[in-house]
Amino acid sequence: MQLEVYGDTLCALVSATALASAGNQVFLHLPEGNVAQQLAQGDCPFREPGLADLMAEQSQAGRLVLSSLESPPHQQSTVVWLALSPDALELAVQIVAMLPTHRAERWLVVNQSTFPVGTSESLQRALVENTTESETGSAVVSLPDLIIEGNALQSFMRADSWLLGAEQVWAQKQVAELLRPFNRRRDAIMLMGSREAEFTKLAITGMLATRLSYMNDMANLADHLGVDIERIRQGMGADKRIGEAYLYPGCGFGGLSFSRDVMSLASTLQGSGMQAQLLDEVLRINERQKEVLFRKLWRHYGTELRGRRVAIWGVSFKPESSRIDNSPALKLIEALWAQGVEVHVHDPRALQVLGEWAGERDDLVLHDDPYAAAEGADALMLVTEWKAYWSPDLLRLKMSMAHPLLLDGRNVWDPDFIKQSGFTYFGIGRS
Amino acid sequence: MSDSRRNSQAWQALLAHGEEMRGKHLSDLFAGDGQRFEDLHRQTGAILFDFSKQRIEIETLDRLLDLARERGLAERINALFAGEAVNSSENRAAMHWALRLPVDNACVVQGEDVALLVHAQLQRMEEIVQQVRAGQWRGATGEVITDVVNIGVGGSDLGPLMVSEALTDWCLPGQSPLSVHFASTMDGSQLSQLLGDLSAHSTLFIISSKSFSTIDTLSNAATARRWLEREVGDCEGLLGCHFLGVSAAADKMTEWGIAPGNQMRLWDWVGGRYSLWSAIGLPVALAIGMPAFRDLLAGAHSMDEHFQQVPFADNLPVLLGMIGIWNTNVLGINAHAILPYDGRLKELPNYFEQLEMESNGKSVSLGGETVDYATCPIVWGNVGPNAQHAFYQLLHQGTEVVTCDFIVPARRYLEPQHNEAAVELVAQHELALANCLAQSRLLALGDAAVEGAEALPLHQRYRGNQPSSTLLLDELTPYSLGALIALYEHKVFVQSVIWDINPFDQWGVEMGKRIAMDTLAYIRGDSDELNNADSSTAGLLARILG
Repeated sequence: MQLEVYGDTLCALVSATALASAGNQVFLHLPEGNVAQQLAQGDCPFREPGLADLMAEQSQAGRLVLSSLESPPHQQSTVVWLALSPDALELAVQIVAMLPTHRAERWLVVNQSTFPVGTSESLQRALVENTTESETGSAVVSLPDLIIEGNALQSFMRADSWLLGAEQVWAQKQVAELLRPFNRRRDAIMLMGSREAEFTKLAITGMLATRLSYMNDMANLADHLGVDIERIRQGMGADKRIGEAYLYPGCGFGGLSFSRDVMSLASTLQGSGMQAQLLDEVLRINERQKEVLFRKLWRHYGTELRGRRVAIWGVSFKPESSRIDNSPALKLIEALWAQGVEVHVHDPRALQVLGEWAGERDDLVLHDDPYAAAEGADALMLVTEWKAYWSPDLLRLKMSMAHPLLLDGRNVWDPDFIKQSGFTYFGIGRS
Repeated sequence: MSDSRRNSQAWQALLAHGEEMRGKHLSDLFAGDGQRFEDLHRQTGAILFDFSKQRIEIETLDRLLDLARERGLAERINALFAGEAVNSSENRAAMHWALRLPVDNACVVQGEDVALLVHAQLQRMEEIVQQVRAGQWRGATGEVITDVVNIGVGGSDLGPLMVSEALTDWCLPGQSPLSVHFASTMDGSQLSQLLGDLSAHSTLFIISSKSFSTIDTLSNAATARRWLEREVGDCEGLLGCHFLGVSAAADKMTEWGIAPGNQMRLWDWVGGRYSLWSAIGLPVALAIGMPAFRDLLAGAHSMDEHFQQVPFADNLPVLLGMIGIWNTNVLGINAHAILPYDGRLKELPNYFEQLEMESNGKSVSLGGETVDYATCPIVWGNVGPNAQHAFYQLLHQGTEVVTCDFIVPARRYLEPQHNEAAVELVAQHELALANCLAQSRLLALGDAAVEGAEALPLHQRYRGNQPSSTLLLDELTPYSLGALIALYEHKVFVQSVIWDINPFDQWGVEMGKRIAMDTLAYIRGDSDELNNADSSTAGLLARILG
């Protein structure tokens, strides 16, 4: 089949590559930006096992063709695959509303993006308004992104489950046909309404967020009880009913998928006044958790922070990303600024967007070298756990910092080792 | 001296005119003059002042203004605004008006630019307000401050409380949710409730006291401090993070433990009941933000200018004050009700009680003699629609004559946050407006307002002839509220000039506090004997101490 995939998310790249590898002809429409640039240079912007190789292979074979947002779908294409970022709802509507009309065949739009519940229905309406009589029956289906980061390609090609929200039988069949190569061991497609599929995705995200906020709550208690949360985490994870995933305490989570806009059901339940109570609290706890390193610093220096200098390692909302949406670092930096602290930042990829976010100001200095950021600092805060930060040159840090104080927002360092090296150490739920 | 005062030409002319007016009923005055409203109302900026329901005629105004001129009101207004020591018993100026001077308005009094001092404090206030409203004022453990408790009493409580309540529609959320609370009573009633509900980690206290020696406030402050120490623990920076101070006594704030950077100043030349325009208004600024607080000041300043510049015949504070003189000293009415028809103004009657009664509840003239005429009437009130279910019965059918000020905004619920419920709420405001107009009409006209009243039995009849004024605001905004409060401040000053008393001291509240200290020592067993205890006090003490 011939498909038009839209988006520059990990999900877009994985879906496009996997579908091409099964013999489909795939045109990948990329919004302008870093991802498009890197792909144009032949680089793969995501470090996922097997992804770069398979992409290169499919490109070479001519089955995966990079394209722009503006270029129209090809004549033979009947499938539009949306894997856009959660803030690109308007773009999704535009794409659907601009689809060429007066064609012999109807459209199948597969929406894999994480948008508020009910979006597939509104896309369906946009599609119907756009299309003419002959195309009546065009359908939008929801196929939520369940890709697991770190194992993205495999989690698509050998998926444990697919949530397919589709009302029309022909659309269900066509999606099943598209997924056939990835659905062999057993039929893993779970059929449901598009609203139900979208809601399931949000419920999953909400559950993961709840686990994280719960662990952060436990970590804050651990701080007061003088126990090490890492041992607690391992003990909990060993219980099969709980499992190990999403139990890592930290200085808060970010990213667009976890944003209030997406998680909020208000946009779909408008008028009913309903709110998800637990989810609200989970997000509230998370916002508070983003300032946990600030609070530790505040107390350590006896509430006197004016004129101090603090280094931050990692500002992207997660490693390997250049995005800072809802990143804990932003809240932390604002808190530090408000107390008259000069902030020095290193991040492998997100410095440029951070600079754009902050604008020109004297109390923010961006560094290409992590050690230069830490020079003369009264504290170093690790906020995003890029791999390059896991085993720093402690001697060098100790020599260059004004005060040897490390605040580990991701519990990646070993407290004993750090302390033996002459630092004061604060982690999340451990010290 | 006070003898000669009422013997003066203007007084005598006024009293003679009073004789002519005696027996005239408001219903006749209205019936005989279709122009009455046109002649007997004035407007400035956002306030329309209708005094056509007062028992006066145009000539009355002439007689009243003659008296004002004879008493040298113009010179006294000049003295007030020149920073002269109009508070003679304490030898101080009363320059609350300087607190609302625009920034570019230099004002040198005794070699010092007062505007500069004022704006330096406003600037300090603004920094604090911004930090708190941005969610960046931190408790000792680094938590964001979400609750502010103002600890103060009298002028340090009533003003900020009244304005905060009045401007609730301007309490737009800052970046961070913030609630402002007030604790005043010396028995700790409000504080005990608040401490049960609030988290110490995220609570900021403002200790507000001009003298920083008010026992009510200091006892509440001490309780708050102990609570914080208990809840947060012995923590560096506890006082610095959780206490702000507003006072004229910097040394006492420091002694108490208020960090120098957390101290805001006010000055001897601001009376407590005139101080909400200063840093005493900090809770207001925290709730409504600094731009709206500056609008409040601008509204008051507009009234200051009006008071100084506009001829008496069109001068709202002068007319409001002189009509009060007419009611008190010519018609002999000793009760005055404040009746706002807007629930947001529910604290306004309390505020005006203090402003009027603590200022003009005096009986010794500036020359030190006992006056032989009535001064400030008893002032009280409530939200009008609620008072209709309480004391209006007395207004309509009791034996006392009472004057009333009706205060109401013409328009309401126009703010964007009311969008959804606006239709229903606007209908409710219309209901309040209709009641306000109906009540003042019935009070004035009595049976004449009711068709076929003559046929009703006596207990269903209305005497009428109760005089009232109506102050109609376009809308209740920070600006119009500022102007309204300043209008009453200056009204009080006008009356004090006519009565020849000092409105800026309050010696009558001192002695009770001293006697209480002796009594306290006795209750706590620190002293064995209470000097000169009357048998009532002795009997009650015996029962209390068991």
